Amino acid sequence: MSESVILETKGLTKAFGGLVAVDKVDLSIEAGKITAIIGPNGAGKTTLFNLITGVYPVSSGQIYFQGGLLNNVPAHKRASMGIVRTFQHVHLFGNMTVLENVMSGRHPRSSYGFFEAALRLPKARREEEAISLNAIKYLNLVGLGTHAEHDALSLPLGQQKLLAVARAMATEPRLILLDEPGAGLNTSEKRQLSDLIRNIREMGISVVLVEHDMPLVMGLAEWVIVLDSGQKIAEGTASQVQKDPKVIAAYLGEEVE
Amino acid sequence: MLAGLKSKWAYLAAAALLVFLILIPFDWFLGRYTTIMIFIGIHTIVTVGLCLLMGYTGQVSLGQAAFFGMGAYISAILSKTYDVNPWLAMLIAAVMTGAFAYIIGYPIFRLKGNYLAMATLGLGMIIYILFIQLAQFTGGPEGMSGIPYLSIGGFVFNTSFRRYFLVWFFCLAVLLISQNIVSSRAGRALRAVHGSESAAESIGINVTQFKVKVLVLSAVYASLAGSLFVHHLRFVSPQPFDFLASVKLVVMAVIGGLASIWGAIFGAGTTHILSDELLLRFGEWDVIIYGLILMLVMIFMPEGLFVKLKEVFERLRLRYRRRGAEP
Amino acid sequence: MSSEQFVQYLISGLTQGSIYALVGLGFTIIYAVTRIINFAQGEFVMLGGMLSFVLANSVGIPLVPALILSVLIAAAVGAIMYVLAIRPARRASVVSLIIITIGAAIFIRGIAGQIWGKDYVRPPYFTGEEPISFLGANIHPQALWIIGTTLVATIAVHLFLSYTMVGKALKACAINPSAASLVGINTRTMGLIAFVLAAITGAIGGVVMAPLTITSYGVGIMVALKGFVAASIGGFRSPIAAVIGGILLGIIEAFAVAINWGPFTSDYKDAIALIVLLLILLIRSGKLAEEERTG
Repeated sequence: MSESVILETKGLTKAFGGLVAVDKVDLSIEAGKITAIIGPNGAGKTTLFNLITGVYPVSSGQIYFQGGLLNNVPAHKRASMGIVRTFQHVHLFGNMTVLENVMSGRHPRSSYGFFEAALRLPKARREEEAISLNAIKYLNLVGLGTHAEHDALSLPLGQQKLLAVARAMATEPRLILLDEPGAGLNTSEKRQLSDLIRNIREMGISVVLVEHDMPLVMGLAEWVIVLDSGQKIAEGTASQVQKDPKVIAAYLGEEVE
Repeated sequence: MLAGLKSKWAYLAAAALLVFLILIPFDWFLGRYTTIMIFIGIHTIVTVGLCLLMGYTGQVSLGQAAFFGMGAYISAILSKTYDVNPWLAMLIAAVMTGAFAYIIGYPIFRLKGNYLAMATLGLGMIIYILFIQLAQFTGGPEGMSGIPYLSIGGFVFNTSFRRYFLVWFFCLAVLLISQNIVSSRAGRALRAVHGSESAAESIGINVTQFKVKVLVLSAVYASLAGSLFVHHLRFVSPQPFDFLASVKLVVMAVIGGLASIWGAIFGAGTTHILSDELLLRFGEWDVIIYGLILMLVMIFMPEGLFVKLKEVFERLRLRYRRRGAEP
Repeated sequence: MSSEQFVQYLISGLTQGSIYALVGLGFTIIYAVTRIINFAQGEFVMLGGMLSFVLANSVGIPLVPALILSVLIAAAVGAIMYVLAIRPARRASVVSLIIITIGAAIFIRGIAGQIWGKDYVRPPYFTGEEPISFLGANIHPQALWIIGTTLVATIAVHLFLSYTMVGKALKACAINPSAASLVGINTRTMGLIAFVLAAITGAIGGVVMAPLTITSYGVGIMVALKGFVAASIGGFRSPIAAVIGGILLGIIEAFAVAINWGPFTSDYKDAIALIVLLLILLIRSGKLAEEERTG
């Protein structure tokens, strides 16, 4: 596997009983680039994310992250390895403030536990300081610095999505998976989001996003992979993929229904 | 030392409360309430653990009285039957109860919601049955008496006055430790688990491990309380550890506000006072009132009575301040 | 064990199991339609038994009207419970709903204890106590009533769910509440019907078992627990499986106690059901965990 490939899948398959959601998919995600995964509804995009993040066990096939086999690594260990994701339905921690949400994101990059916390040992206080500062840095990155003390759920949807990204960024990932980040956003929010994603790429982090909004994808993505019914049917640059007859057929097929 | 106190008013209030607490057991003050305060303190310790488990981590326990009882019985049996030093017995009880919680933790947390509740209910009842049936150790339904007092060197905790300070020392220590945990990285992890298990996992939190850790912590708290309980009464029987006792603990946690550590005192306190008053005046109406309270609080103020009162208080304070600002 | 003893234990297990079956049926109906575990299910059984005693013995109403009235009153209690405690909290969290139904359970139990005292009471037998001989064993006629009533009730519920409009609407709610409301089914009314139906089946169980097993204000909890075990065997979705589960549990209990070895003594009888419960939860937990992830 070449130096510049950060994530690779070989023959990746996931079946739920008789339903095959992901069907022998081979992927090669280049490091430091923005890759988009598109496809009609039910194509298996979110399932693919769930496989990469370890939420679902793999039925067959392999996933390699930075050259190492990922298959049996438990989901909660993948964040400290450098893989993080956001969710279609945001999944913020509603019982915390905006800042606390981002501070939770520092979990894999900090280590003090119950014991140090209970007695407020110096290690705990030092790490809290660092966690706090880091969280503020990432809040500012997404432009939510002034909302630090607000309840997370008091933010409008667009800002909630930004908060989710800040939380994910706080884990200091090498690869960030964004699941439909643009869903439910208006035009200016989408522009904000695009700028943020480009910023993230500038920081050297690889981005993979699942999106339905074609203009958003075409403006951002340096590489596009198309899935349909669990299989990869095309990949290439945005303009190549747009002209691919298989892709058009897959989407047209969806519209007719 | 105290994380979470934000203004000097809060510090003043805390100091005043502390002085008040210290003065209670004196005869010239509120000495006649010493015994009930001992029980409130003991139950607060259990309730704090339950708040961490149910309020912060969002898991249900309908069998918490089992941990309480385990601490009580292990302390009693070791210190009475086997002549073990009561402090050592207390430590062993906490370790054994915690270990038990650890062992059942992983399998039990594969369940969620209703199923988890039922499993805790079932386990709690099995342990209660064991308390009754293992009569050769536990003394059966009649229980055991003659359990020794706790003592430090020559100083024996043989008066309510002395035990009051012992119990509230532990109670405040537990409250402070828990407050520290809640406002820490671990506390955020617990709340994250409650907020969204999938998101928590995605940022590196080992969800099941945290649930088990909180369960163990709550079990250790309950065991500690059970030991103190038994060294106060010098008697132990299965009766205070049945399903109804677990329900009462949930009532205490619910009234105090599931997500409020200090509310645990409020919850334990009101429940006790209510229960004593009711028992004195109306016979067995306490159970009926518990049922009513559980329903009303969960329907109308699921965040707990204590937290609701705090909100009302805050609103009144703001309104008063605004009026004061007008010329 | 002789064959007469075997039959004796089998009948005993069938009898007890029938009660568990009816309670399990009630749990399943409510859970399937509303996704709520009704911890107060056992109290309907208690109410059925206690009311039949109070009406038949203390008030002096003739037996059959007393039985019918008992069930109707229990049904009313179920309806009131739904309207006052459940419906206002429909959107509450699982933890809240659990606590609410527990609150209702101890409330009902407490009131019963206050009104009727704590003594055990025995309502009159339906057809006397002359034992009937069957395959060498002696069967109490009330036991036959219990088994028979459970059979009839189960069939009746099944027919109701499968062949009446209301029943089918209930089933629709159970399968997919949002789709059901889209086609005009009022899910809140369905919830009410589910509760009333569960109260009725529970009360019938109580009414028919009380003469044989005697009853008091506090029997609800254990009965509920065992009915829960029965329902969990059916995965809380299948009424028939709940009934079968209940009967199986009753038989397991009867034979385990008969063996009277080690932990399976009569003292530990209740623990058996609890252990079965934990085993089922453990076995199913893998499946439940998978459902959580993909659901």
